[in-house]
Amino acid sequence: MADEKDRTNARPEVDERGRSKVQDVDRSLYDFVKSEEGYERYADGLTPDIVRSISAKKDEPDWMLKMRLEALERFHDIDMAPNWGPDTSGLNMDDISTYVSPKTKQARDWNDVPADIKDTFERLGIPQAERDSLAGVGAQYDSEIVYHNMREEVAKQGVVYTTIEDAIHDPQWEPVVRKYFGTLIPMTDHKFAALHYAVWSGGSFVYVPEGVSLDYPLQSYFRLNASGAGQFEHTLIVVEPGANLHFIEGCSAPKYYEANLHAGAVELFVGDGARLRYSTIENWSKNMYNLNTKRARVGADATMEWVSGSFGSHVSYLYPTTILQGDRSVCEYTGITFSGANQDLDTGCKVILNGRDTRASMSAKSISKDGGVNTFRSSVVVGRHADNARCTVSCQSLMLDDISRSDTIPAMDVRNRTASVGHEATIGRISDDTILYLMSRGCSEEEARTMVVNGFANPVSKELPLEYAVEMNNLIKLEMEGAIG
Amino acid sequence: MASTSTCLEGTTKAMTLAHVNVPPAQTWNYLKIDQIALSVPVPTSAGTVPTRLPRLFSRIGAGVGTEAVSWVEATTGDSRYVEVPRGTVREEPIVLSCDADAGEVRDSGVMVRGGATATIVLVSHGSGDAEGDAPLSPTPAATSANLVRVYAEKGATVHLVEVVAMGDERQHLEGIGLVAEDGARVDARQYLLGGGRVAVGFEADLAGDAATLDLDSRYIVRHHEVLDVNHAVLQRGERTRCDIQTSGILADAGQKTMRETIDLRHGGHGSKGNERETVLVTGDDIVNRTLPVILCDEDDVAGNHGASIGSVSSEQMTYLADRGLSDAEAEALFARALFDDAVIHAPEQQSLSAALDRAANVVGDDMAHDLASGLGIEPASADDPKEE
Repeated sequence: MADEKDRTNARPEVDERGRSKVQDVDRSLYDFVKSEEGYERYADGLTPDIVRSISAKKDEPDWMLKMRLEALERFHDIDMAPNWGPDTSGLNMDDISTYVSPKTKQARDWNDVPADIKDTFERLGIPQAERDSLAGVGAQYDSEIVYHNMREEVAKQGVVYTTIEDAIHDPQWEPVVRKYFGTLIPMTDHKFAALHYAVWSGGSFVYVPEGVSLDYPLQSYFRLNASGAGQFEHTLIVVEPGANLHFIEGCSAPKYYEANLHAGAVELFVGDGARLRYSTIENWSKNMYNLNTKRARVGADATMEWVSGSFGSHVSYLYPTTILQGDRSVCEYTGITFSGANQDLDTGCKVILNGRDTRASMSAKSISKDGGVNTFRSSVVVGRHADNARCTVSCQSLMLDDISRSDTIPAMDVRNRTASVGHEATIGRISDDTILYLMSRGCSEEEARTMVVNGFANPVSKELPLEYAVEMNNLIKLEMEGAIG
Repeated sequence: MASTSTCLEGTTKAMTLAHVNVPPAQTWNYLKIDQIALSVPVPTSAGTVPTRLPRLFSRIGAGVGTEAVSWVEATTGDSRYVEVPRGTVREEPIVLSCDADAGEVRDSGVMVRGGATATIVLVSHGSGDAEGDAPLSPTPAATSANLVRVYAEKGATVHLVEVVAMGDERQHLEGIGLVAEDGARVDARQYLLGGGRVAVGFEADLAGDAATLDLDSRYIVRHHEVLDVNHAVLQRGERTRCDIQTSGILADAGQKTMRETIDLRHGGHGSKGNERETVLVTGDDIVNRTLPVILCDEDDVAGNHGASIGSVSSEQMTYLADRGLSDAEAEALFARALFDDAVIHAPEQQSLSAALDRAANVVGDDMAHDLASGLGIEPASADDPKEE
């Protein structure tokens, strides 16, 4: 707390144009490394033998191995698009281990988790959050889930929250996994979707029965401790008609000089009349290539909500996609991206409106500083039968200096005459008039600037549960403090 | 000024321009929004030594892309070059026309010297729609092109009016390139009134301090027409200002792609860029693609974009029905308003005739006659008037 107070009271360093210098984030909370000694680590690179080994390790059914091997071929066949997106040439799969695992079994009690791993998650606040405000937690360390637990009363309602691997080996759930797995995000979607299906490991399977509403969120936390490694978890969530779930994912990693890779996949199936909120606080270290894919299919009268805060990664390609298939289905996206030095974050969202009377509302904010690059990229596609579809997209970008970059690239494709689509975007800095106005009301300059930035980020943080809003605000504060000019 | 053209009708060999109207920043390729491909006649050498524009103009982009510009330069005969002397006000508009029916391919350059004022009129016109409702795909031989590059020196003022008006059997490529030095002011009005497949590029480089651009672009796309537009404005100077207003009507099975890019470059302190698009959709089988982009690597700037896509609301239709207008009549009113605007702002006879001819084709002879009568004139043919 003392440190916090000192930071708050410190006078900002001001450059020659009167802009206050923004401090780098204090990453000590996330930037600690645990030894890999004794861990199982597969050789760097990508070969059919490595893929077979992962599959054998998990004792998978044949259909999954076939899928992995086909995906491996696709990965080699598909190129990255040459005409858009951040540079990924620094990522060499020959230098990435696709499977690293601590030698421990999955636990349902934190006391059964190895001490160093437990310490990691304690420092990240996961067990405390579980005790305070969660219905269940999954914790992945490198390639494997090390802890998974859910409150008994939630389990009694028929909710299933387990690993994909365990679901595959459960005769009751294997057909469900097989029915949904890989259907929403095909392996042909893009190069790193193919890679994901070749080497996926870990992640969660969630099933919420019809009509069941969870009062507390479920959370998965992904920690990539190993250097020069990848994390490829798969999250599959099925929310049956009339059910209600809030799922939170968080992620972090210590910083290395070697490139790390995250190529997860999230497939969400929201039944008729159901509601799913999917919240993410992404804080990967700044050597991470975050090439993640998330997609939801939404039934009639159902609601899909995305809340996304992206703070970390060296390079990001991240666009949660919503397919509003059912009539009167609804999508809301609220996201903020913070890009600092050595970060090129290409984020945004996609929505496809196929049903009648569907509604989508997307609000994105970005903050760029210290040479960071932010790109907001979106697409709105209104199908021919989407009568009376309504969609609004709003994007606001804040530039904190003149060496950073902020681009807004929204695409719209509308094929129905009764649809209504609106888009607005603004890019700029905090105006001197605003600061002057607040100072004339008694605020110091720093208070005024902080007030404006907090207000800018508030629509995102207010969508999160209190504990996570605090974490997100802390991240923003760490990035912002010293005021902004 | 030399003025020749190359007739392409009857040419059989075709080539593909694969990357026409590529915006400065692109996106997911599966959306098919990043470019349009045009099949065009292979340029043929006439064995002559054509007149070329001063080298200065080759450095001015025209939005359509280098591939298309090279094709125009290789296809056209002599280029047209016009210079407006320093400090003068040229009263007579500079008319740069293109006869689509004759398959003309034109390449023009206009130098507006410091402090001078000029009105430039681009008229690309052709005959009306083909008989019947069957979808048409213009052949490469039915291609015309009008490429105009303008250099506005310090303090120059340029009024630009562009009319593209031709039937659905025609394919047309139109490119406008513009450089504006310190304090140069450009206002441009685009009227894109028809054509089977029309690709329009518009690229402005606000290189000088306090250079400004006001672009008002209006269009109607109907039947099975395809309109593909690429507006790109680069704001490099300090305190530059750009305002782009785009509005149009999308009817029947018309397809429209509108790319608008404001590129606020480092060093352009105090610059502002605004773009707004409004689309009125009246067709059941339309394809409406929009890519409004803001690029920014300077903090002391402001960029804004807004887009609104939709049909006339049921409340508005009810209001009009109460006044005795059917849905079709109400929608025709919107089309009439577009042609009304084109006719009112046509600065000379060729652009006026092209707009009226097209109005007669789209909203009917009676309404076109009303438009002309409102201005106290009789409709005349676009084929007659004189040209620069």
